[in-house]
Amino acid sequence: MESTKIVIAYFIYLPIVIGLTIFVSKKLFESGKSFMVEIFRGQENIAIATNKLFEVGFYLVNIGWALVIMKIAYYGYSEEVTSQRLIEILSRKIGGFSIYLGVMLLLNLFLFLRGRKVARQKQLNHQVNMQQQPNFGYQK
Amino acid sequence: MNFNIISYLLYIPIIFFITVKVGWILYKNGEVFMCNIIQNDPEIVASINKILLIGYYLINLGAATITIAYWETVQNGYEMMNALSDVLGKTILALAIMHYNNIFWIKFLNRKKQTEVIN
Repeated sequence: MESTKIVIAYFIYLPIVIGLTIFVSKKLFESGKSFMVEIFRGQENIAIATNKLFEVGFYLVNIGWALVIMKIAYYGYSEEVTSQRLIEILSRKIGGFSIYLGVMLLLNLFLFLRGRKVARQKQLNHQVNMQQQPNFGYQK
Repeated sequence: MNFNIISYLLYIPIIFFITVKVGWILYKNGEVFMCNIIQNDPEIVASINKILLIGYYLINLGAATITIAYWETVQNGYEMMNALSDVLGKTILALAIMHYNNIFWIKFLNRKKQTEVIN
């Protein structure tokens, strides 16, 4: 039966994909905490909460996408699914998902760096304003 | 167990070993350059470095895995050697090109940083 082979493929695919997502987001948001603390300077609990929310979002988006692309549809009709064919199909699915996950990871890193830059700029402006205001008063 | 499956079983450990080893070396040696670009913030540098390492692993191992889907049909040992050397060589060359690209970016960012400091 060909459908049983495809079911086996699903049972190999799902643990790998979900495990990969969990591993990557754990690592990413472990490092993300230091960024968040720098962005929300002085508000530790808000930083940790935001980090957690981002982590949940990351899980939802990636596991959702993994389930959407899971279906192995068009192979069964044209040719018989041998175990060699199974390996090839699985490698394309898992490899493609892995590249997608890598791109999402780097996108997240980019967002972190962007947020850090904006926060720094704001702080710099704030400092400049604080320095200028007494000066204006003094000159008058 | 035909020759295709044997060549996959040979290919995957070799390419994973090379990719992981190269990534680890770059991770170890890249931290110095990152410290140069982002000064006096070692915690952020360590975080960025770790995320970059994971991204590198995901993308390169994913690409290495995908090549299995486009493998030519192999009938005997001779053809298997040909196919293996071809695919392995191409993947390693791609790694080398990305490596030189990285070196270029490090140089570029360092120079930018230095001109900023001077100005």
